[in-house]
Amino acid sequence: MAILLSFDIDGTLELGDPPGGVTTEMVRKARDVGFIIGSCSDKPLSVQRKIWEDMELTPAFVSAKHQLGKVRRENPADAYYHMGDRDTDYMAAKDNNFGFWWAHEAAEQPWLEFDMNNHEQIPITT
Amino acid sequence: MAREVNWERNHDPVGIWNGRGKAALVARGHSPTDRRWDGESLDKSLGAFMMIAVQNALDDAGITIDDVDGIIGSAGGQGNGQPLSDVWGPRPYFDAPYDSEDGLTHVTGQWLRQQMGFKNLRYINNHGDPVWNLIGQASQAIADGRAEVVVVTYPNGNLPGRYHQDPSNQARGPAVWPNTWGWGLSGQGFTFNQYCQKYGTNHDRMAPFVVQERKNGLLWEHSYYAQHEPGEFTEEDYLNGRMIARDLSIFDCDRPVLAAAAYVMVSADRAKDMKQKPVYILDHTESQFSPRSLVQTIDDTEEWTDIQAQRSYNGSGLKPEDIDIFAPYDGFAVFTQYYIEAFGWRGVKRGEAHDFYAGDISLKGPNPLNSGGGNMGTGRMRTVFITDPLEQLQGRAGDRQVTTKAEVAVTHGVLPITAGTVVMSTSPD
Repeated sequence: MAILLSFDIDGTLELGDPPGGVTTEMVRKARDVGFIIGSCSDKPLSVQRKIWEDMELTPAFVSAKHQLGKVRRENPADAYYHMGDRDTDYMAAKDNNFGFWWAHEAAEQPWLEFDMNNHEQIPITT
Repeated sequence: MAREVNWERNHDPVGIWNGRGKAALVARGHSPTDRRWDGESLDKSLGAFMMIAVQNALDDAGITIDDVDGIIGSAGGQGNGQPLSDVWGPRPYFDAPYDSEDGLTHVTGQWLRQQMGFKNLRYINNHGDPVWNLIGQASQAIADGRAEVVVVTYPNGNLPGRYHQDPSNQARGPAVWPNTWGWGLSGQGFTFNQYCQKYGTNHDRMAPFVVQERKNGLLWEHSYYAQHEPGEFTEEDYLNGRMIARDLSIFDCDRPVLAAAAYVMVSADRAKDMKQKPVYILDHTESQFSPRSLVQTIDDTEEWTDIQAQRSYNGSGLKPEDIDIFAPYDGFAVFTQYYIEAFGWRGVKRGEAHDFYAGDISLKGPNPLNSGGGNMGTGRMRTVFITDPLEQLQGRAGDRQVTTKAEVAVTHGVLPITAGTVVMSTSPD
């Protein structure tokens, strides 16, 4: 079961500007559990890569926010989720058939509720 | 104080300025640069930053508060003292002196006088406009003998929350066209789209210019990026920017920041005794236009910028080939080509700016455009457009010092529809 989690940065990750409620430790745990992780943000790609370096994590992808469709095409998975704090995040997720969590919801790590071995329990979109 | 009028040189023919060489820019001071105020730390408020900048400028000039007899500022960075950013209220304020917007989202000369203890002021004016106009206004006041040692203040704030989001759910009058598509953005994209169609170019050809500005800005210690995001901005970054209006990407827009700057300007006589080498003001001109229709077009833009350039050349007596340092505004990066082409800097004609960008505009090359990095390279401060030409002409731009001749500078901004132009020189003649 492959599930992709796309993190917005500003207003979502604690290293964002402004900082959000999703900590580096939460992202690390998601990776350790087995999620495919990466970022989709309006930040320059080079800055996104630097943030991942600072988190000492290797993302499966970094992408501009409007390129979620490309992320889907290039990263095969059974389910896709994006999280962010802006309407533009929501619209990008909706347009590309990603599930979506607002940043404050993402800070609750809803992905940890998933049973990775039970496909039927995992909603494709929220 | 009522708004002072008739100081602008905005009616053609302006003629050679009778104050030519009578005023000089000698020193600059900057505050730290933050992304935004946190709403709590009063030592990082715009007022606190403005006081830091003023003291740094005085120290740079080698003078004290008691030497200053004039303050000219745009309390909030915009015309009529309006904040460049948004206002804090209506919210609870703080104990004095932070018990109003003054000191938080704008900073008046009166507030500075009270907090810093200026004793010898005979001229205070807070009704200025963007920083080019303030330098022009201070030059005129000094040339007219109304002050001899003037501190020019320019604070730019940024508050928590969304920037310039219009809370209204209605759009009336001319605003019905642009406001339904977001603050000020669609109009800029529209004009640029017309430019691209007229000259057979496209948005991606802006990349070399924006990338070079970010490189230059990293070499300016007061740049937001130098202080907080020092990595290289690449062509890949630019070309992957999200379009927020047709032909306008998120990386064509300057990043709002919190910072303040101050400048010391003096009479030519006083300039002889200053710690720093004087840079003389040869001319200042201003302009204000109205669009033919509801939305500014490329025809409007080219007509207005042609007038601005010609007015400056008439006022200074200079020709395009006399300009060594050229600093045209870039708050939206798509502005800059209009100015380059209007001024004909380095022989660039209408429709040729993108070809020019594709050539060598590097800092150490033959055409060091916006050697300070502009707003794209420093954040939405605008003050690099004064500080960099000043430092280039004083020969103290450090790693940014151009290798070409640096004796005459022209700085120009803010908008095609309303702008100020300042001509500086190492010589008063």
